[in-house]
Amino acid sequence: MSDDLEQSFVQQLKTNQNIIHKICRLYTNGEDAHKDLFQEITIQLWKAFPKFRGDSKFSTWAYRVALNTAITLYRKSTRSVKTVDYESQQFFISQEDYNYEEEERLKLMYKAVYQLNDIEKALIFMYLEDKDYGEISETLGISEVNARVKMNRIKGKLKKILNP
Amino acid sequence: MKELDLLKKDWQKNNAFEQVSEGEIYKMLHTKSSSIVKWIFIISMLEILLWSFISIFFNTDDYFKNTKFDAFNVYFEALTYFNYGVIFVFIYLFYENYVNISATVSTKQLMKDILKTRKTVQCYVWYNLGMVAVSLIIGFFIAFTYNPEVIVLRDKIASNGKVMAITIGILILTIAVFLSVFWLFYRLLYGILLRKLYANYSELKKIDL
Repeated sequence: MSDDLEQSFVQQLKTNQNIIHKICRLYTNGEDAHKDLFQEITIQLWKAFPKFRGDSKFSTWAYRVALNTAITLYRKSTRSVKTVDYESQQFFISQEDYNYEEEERLKLMYKAVYQLNDIEKALIFMYLEDKDYGEISETLGISEVNARVKMNRIKGKLKKILNP
Repeated sequence: MKELDLLKKDWQKNNAFEQVSEGEIYKMLHTKSSSIVKWIFIISMLEILLWSFISIFFNTDDYFKNTKFDAFNVYFEALTYFNYGVIFVFIYLFYENYVNISATVSTKQLMKDILKTRKTVQCYVWYNLGMVAVSLIIGFFIAFTYNPEVIVLRDKIASNGKVMAITIGILILTIAVFLSVFWLFYRLLYGILLRKLYANYSELKKIDL
């Protein structure tokens, strides 16, 4: 019975692993930190899995648990996370759309996003994942209005960072 | 915000992550236990080194030369080798447990392995405590029977019942104190790891419904 549960978990995690990878990209710098956070999120998801009843999609549930884990860990570690080694990030710009000016702007944008705090990162993450405010509020456990207000503030903050 | 749209486009395009395989995910779920068991293995090795190191400084050969009975040297050596033999068997078992737990891919098997590891450690601790008690009793016996310095005392004790009772009481107390010191030592050394391992087991059990 337990082995079936485990197998189903591993299967679903494997299919949805890019969610975790993306969160790791946003909350960590460097390959090792990425791997560590990935593993920690995996363990937390596995611990929470028995409570996952399947009334929401695995991915929706995974967003919630994974973001919570990332935020909790981010708060625990005061080292390394605050100063982000921006140069070590990989942005995977593909050759054919290589556009110097656009790439520069993107770099600045990523740099700005890395300066946000843990909660703001979670919101911007959901935004980048193209989730609507309903889903953002459900995942982060805040009201829809609150999510909108927060998102606007983040946009303002990003603008300020880009044009000081 | 134009930049944000640009970022969003780029974000959704960039999904070229190095994919984690099923085997790797299984491994992640079990690493906690395997790292605890690895520590049990390492600590048992360090403990052996510590005892060997101490025994270099406390050489028993001279003590036995003082006693009239030289043959004890041989017995004692045999006992020491026997002890090392048993301890190496335990180290091998710890190592085997570590390898098993690292390689396990199913929760059921992992739970079994955790229980087995706990049992091995418990046996190891009981064996060591038993060995301490046996060595102390033999040591006292040798001292009272063959050590010339103690023989005078022995004759005195034999003639006085009250002194004999007190002496026996002190000996029992000494053994008890030694045993509790060792027991505490092992509790500190392995108890913490065993408790962590058990917590991990309980967690797995919750999932296993």
